[in-house]
Amino acid sequence: MISTSIRRALFRAGAVTAIGALALTGCTATPDDGAAESGPMLTVPREDMGTFSQNFNPFSPNAAPMTTQSVYESLLIYNPAGGDTVPWLAESWEAADDGLSQTFHLREGVKWSDGADFVAADIVTTFELQRELLGGFDYLDTVKAIDEKTVQFTFNRKFSPALFEVGQQVIVPDHIWSEFEDPGNEENPTPVGTGPYTEVSNFQTQSFDLLPNPNYWQPEKQKIPGVRMLAFAGNDGANLAAVNGDVDWAPQYMPDIQSTFVDKDPENRAYWFPPTGAEINWQLNTTLDMFADPDVRKALSMAIDREQIVKVGMSDYTIPADCTGLSGNYDEWRDADVVADCDWTGYDADAAAELLDDAGFTAGADGQRTTPDGEPFAFDISVGSTSSDWLSVANIIAQNLQDIGVKATVDSPDWAAVVAGYETGEFETGIVWSANAPTPYQYYRNIMSTESVKDVGEQTFDNYHRLGDERADELLADFAATSDEAEQADIMSELQRIYSELAPVVPLFPGPEWGAYTTDNFVGWPTEEDPYATLATRAPTTVLVLTSLEPAE
Amino acid sequence: MGFILRRLGFYLVAFWASITLNFMLPRLMPGDPVTRMLSRSQQRLDPQQVESLQRLLGVEGGPWWQEYFAYIGRVFTGDFGVSISRFPTPVSEVIAAQLPWTLLLGAVSLFLAVIIGNLLGILAAWRRGGALDSVVPPLLVFIGSFPYFWLAMGSLYVFGVALGISPLRHAFSVGLTPSWDLTFISDVAAHLILPALSIVLVSIGGWMLGMRNTMISTNAEDYILMAEAKGLRPRRIMFNYAARNALLPSVTNIGMSLGFIVGGALLTEVVFAYPGVGYQLLAAVQGLDYPLMQGLFLTITAAVLLANFLVDLVYVRLDPRVRVG
Repeated sequence: MISTSIRRALFRAGAVTAIGALALTGCTATPDDGAAESGPMLTVPREDMGTFSQNFNPFSPNAAPMTTQSVYESLLIYNPAGGDTVPWLAESWEAADDGLSQTFHLREGVKWSDGADFVAADIVTTFELQRELLGGFDYLDTVKAIDEKTVQFTFNRKFSPALFEVGQQVIVPDHIWSEFEDPGNEENPTPVGTGPYTEVSNFQTQSFDLLPNPNYWQPEKQKIPGVRMLAFAGNDGANLAAVNGDVDWAPQYMPDIQSTFVDKDPENRAYWFPPTGAEINWQLNTTLDMFADPDVRKALSMAIDREQIVKVGMSDYTIPADCTGLSGNYDEWRDADVVADCDWTGYDADAAAELLDDAGFTAGADGQRTTPDGEPFAFDISVGSTSSDWLSVANIIAQNLQDIGVKATVDSPDWAAVVAGYETGEFETGIVWSANAPTPYQYYRNIMSTESVKDVGEQTFDNYHRLGDERADELLADFAATSDEAEQADIMSELQRIYSELAPVVPLFPGPEWGAYTTDNFVGWPTEEDPYATLATRAPTTVLVLTSLEPAE
Repeated sequence: MGFILRRLGFYLVAFWASITLNFMLPRLMPGDPVTRMLSRSQQRLDPQQVESLQRLLGVEGGPWWQEYFAYIGRVFTGDFGVSISRFPTPVSEVIAAQLPWTLLLGAVSLFLAVIIGNLLGILAAWRRGGALDSVVPPLLVFIGSFPYFWLAMGSLYVFGVALGISPLRHAFSVGLTPSWDLTFISDVAAHLILPALSIVLVSIGGWMLGMRNTMISTNAEDYILMAEAKGLRPRRIMFNYAARNALLPSVTNIGMSLGFIVGGALLTEVVFAYPGVGYQLLAAVQGLDYPLMQGLFLTITAAVLLANFLVDLVYVRLDPRVRVG
């Protein structure tokens, strides 16, 4: 009798909890989607920031997302997908004949979001801060305001890649930033910028909104009500949000994107992965005897099946590399002759075996090759354990090499350990991404210049494989010294030829620039047919997308 | 009093040991935060910036012992430095923003698991061999053997994705501003249900079994027989005589669990993108954010020690035997 009353009480408690739960879930069925009359916000996930801090300092490496895309703008924007340069805060620019200075003419009528005029002093202050806080720009001598709307950069040596580096630096307002006592540690919670969406609203640790800049210089392009950022600690959560239709723009890696994302709503959803990311290389430590001979590097390169690597390892999201080592970012610079003349990035196991035989890496009775010194030809391929795509790339390489009697072992500790090995030169081989800049200058400098070569044990942040070539040094210096485009193209072709001859690294494939979107709420996305930008949300071109989108009908 | 003082001394030593460990552990890991940031940014960070970043973040370091004493000094002034992964936000601010969510999630799920688990345990032991006693414990043990995150992912898929009746992420809906009105509170509660449920389901079996087993031995005591002989109502015997005395081990467990609440159910928080301490800890480890890791470890350790100390105090009241010891 008594125990039944207890049972009833328990049930009642359970029922109350259940009803409460249902009622509460019901409450969220109508989430607040911003002001009803202005339509939904452009919702964008950020997959590698679990929580946001209200930090809109563009000099901080952990600034809130969109700080350098939507709040602050640069003088010009280089678009790797279309290979074109878009004048932005500067209307035009020219280099001096001696190559030692560069002048920018600023756009008339640009205002900061607080209503102040955009002037040359803003640029002077920005570069002072940038160099003081983060360094870099060591070729820069002075930054001088000629008048309100003209600014001149002088260089301590000829350096033509400076145009893009200087031009893509985001500019902060002098009248705000010169007041900060400690600009490096300034959190700048209510930023004043020239960008399209600058007004921070409803800042929470897991989301925030950027509302339109009331004084934007191209008001006709502010067609969306605002940008809403959502925080995620990893791809999984962000992918779930994308698949579920909770975000408009998904810039993160999604496995099998066609069936998991697009097929859910093929009318509205699409993705575009242009191969314009950093080039992914398999780097061989050339300080080791076994990798010192270019023929050995070429043989290893020929032994691996890039088609399979791209198809299986990278889900067919990219294309095999050619022997200029240039990613799709640099299609304008690519020399078709170099590509046509070379064979060491094509898959040919027999030729690879022959080349290794000639180099003295002969196979024994068991089929395993030995180095000329008689040591077994065996080495590790280092890759970080979290990069599942690159791990399968490394595994395919190891399998391919097995076929020609070379023993490669995939070594996958944490990325920090892998990179520490790369930096000190204490690794055998590894998968490495390359520099990605508007011209291939930085790429070839990091991969072939003797300046970038450090001794083993000494830390370096580029040229992990430690190979330099004096001819490349000269060409690079010549390239930096001229701003004549035809001449630059010739020099670049020459560099490609040296690269193809030396095989300093084994190029695998250009990294795809991830990006997917839905046209449910917004239209006007960049596509392969209209590559006015990539779908990256952290690139200089992002602002082009923000100023092109408009609400769907 | 002597007992309390002795315990206090023990906790102080433990605290010092944990500070020292906190200091040492992150330093034994390979790599340094700036290079880590560089590799995470895939070269979007200019290599030339690295050196100035190192200066900026203060990871160049002096001799370790100098850093050690500076560290201890700062711990006692509540200054955990500046978070690297969320630079320039101070660590204490980061933790303060996350802690309430973890406490909420942890406290709600602990509360539910303890109440329901213990009640089930009491009932199961009281009606030994009954339906409740023979069916529920194996079932709960079975569910309890699932990893937290597996259950979390499963329920997220079923209730969030397939049925679409529960929120998928975060502690409250995007666009809401925290306030004490009904809309916000019910929104938070709705976001709490699934994460809390997945923790409760996994942990409830332990509480039930623990309570059931102590209850069974308590039920065999003479005073229970005596109470029954006196003709007291069974419900009174069950709760006031048996359960009350069987509760001591549970109190210890509650104390332990209280401390671990602060550590957060890391994986549950990650699955639901719940903005708690566990979630932040993962981000800190991924970003090699030494100051934040140290701050979090220390907060967790301090919480465990504090909870244990409180349980000691409660025990002195509940169990006269320890006062002598």
